[in-house]
Amino acid sequence: MAAAAPGTIAPERVRRPTGAEQTDRDAPWVVIVWNDPVTLMSYVVFVLRKLFGYDEQTATTLMLRVHNEGKAMVASGPRERCEMHVARLHAHGLQATLARE
Amino acid sequence: MSEPHAILRLESGDVAIRLGPDEHALLRSLAQQLRAIVAGAGPREVGARLFPAAYGDRDQEAEYRQMMGDSLVAERLAAVDAFTATLNNGESDGHRWAVELSPDQAAAWLSAVNDARLTLGVMLGVESEEDWQAGPDPDTPASVALFYLGWLQDDLVRELSAGFAEAPD
Repeated sequence: MAAAAPGTIAPERVRRPTGAEQTDRDAPWVVIVWNDPVTLMSYVVFVLRKLFGYDEQTATTLMLRVHNEGKAMVASGPRERCEMHVARLHAHGLQATLARE
Repeated sequence: MSEPHAILRLESGDVAIRLGPDEHALLRSLAQQLRAIVAGAGPREVGARLFPAAYGDRDQEAEYRQMMGDSLVAERLAAVDAFTATLNNGESDGHRWAVELSPDQAAAWLSAVNDARLTLGVMLGVESEEDWQAGPDPDTPASVALFYLGWLQDDLVRELSAGFAEAPD
């Protein structure tokens, strides 16, 4: 789903070391938004558009995935960047976590 | 019965708000209560919802809190304060209160209204979407406020979303 996203959420070109070089630090992380029974659907769409630059359709698809499946991945990349995304989502009152992919 | 609210995004990007006197009074009251709660005076469950965990891992979560916790609280308090300040300004003719919000002030309204809804949702024990089916309980002021804020927030979101078409950022 990140493929459809313009701008800020484009996956970073992370060097993928192979074999013994690979460490946990290099593993990609994902940002998950969790369903919440109080938060308005329209507000979730608004926040995803504002923070990630998604178009309305992409943001709506993600919101519906959160609503119907309980959660959705909204971004991925290096840990620091994902943590910043989660902090911005938290600042906007959404329930979000990050985890290794 | 007061006149319903009206929210309109102007060409300038500012947002014009009109509220009936009852609505204005309700928002001022909620803003005052919300400030104490965002500052940490509310029940623990409310704090956990307003400032949720980023990590499942305890050590990583503790690091996240240490790094982000203060700024997240400060940002939310600033929004509540901006919300309160605009509620204390504006103009009233006795039938209707009106104010024009800058884009930053409108964002503060959205933040404060959302935080107020999250707080009321926790306090009322809303746990599933099905809890909305029955509509507001007229005998429970918090329930009436929660539904009212939902209408207000939905209107705010609709008007602010109009800005995306102009400034894709």
